[in-house]
Amino acid sequence: MKVLFHGRLAEAIGSELEVSCASVCTVAEVRERVAAEHPDAASVLRNKRALSFVGEKLVRDDYRLTCGDKLEFLPPVSGG
Amino acid sequence: MSVVARLEEDAVHPEQELGALLERAKGDGAVVSFTGVARRASKSGQAVYRLVLEHHPALTLQSLENIAGEAAAKFDVNHVHIVHRRGNIAPGEPIVFAGAASIHRRAAFEAADYLMDRLKTEAVFWKREVGEAGAKWIEPTEADYADRERWD
Repeated sequence: MKVLFHGRLAEAIGSELEVSCASVCTVAEVRERVAAEHPDAASVLRNKRALSFVGEKLVRDDYRLTCGDKLEFLPPVSGG
Repeated sequence: MSVVARLEEDAVHPEQELGALLERAKGDGAVVSFTGVARRASKSGQAVYRLVLEHHPALTLQSLENIAGEAAAKFDVNHVHIVHRRGNIAPGEPIVFAGAASIHRRAAFEAADYLMDRLKTEAVFWKREVGEAGAKWIEPTEADYADRERWD
């Protein structure tokens, strides 16, 4: 499964990761797996203001992913 | 009723945007606009060389459109207008223009205030300040989130 990162998460992890989907099924599980592999990005990944998108739709932590999904983690956003 | 939401790679020209809004707002009694400008110094007083606004290929414009559309629905305004810059922005350059027009002034003032509170906390950008102190990510403050929550 393709996982994309933006902003400070892309700086810490890279803009894209391939995560095997055999052992994961929810957004929360993917997040924890990435956080464990990238401890410097863990606090941003777990930030309550961070957002998760699948197919340009905002999803919750319990969203069940399939292998073809493209998951995107967005750190807190700010315009203006 | 008109709702404009644009993402600009090049310069934002507030005077042109205000002109366009005034033109559309003929017949209205109030036009309120806000222009956000890149600061020359950081909060700690160090020189800023540039502001970098990273954006998302789909979600950024969608967020601007949602915010503009929801302002048009929430307030008694006839026109809403947002133009937001992306990319590298030099100190002194405009970052955002947000405006609203209505029959009476209160709705236009409130809509412009609402637009900025939502843009600060919900527009999909990741902002980095590059300057004397190195590069620093800028995220909304708790005060920014509290300002946003006033409207719920």
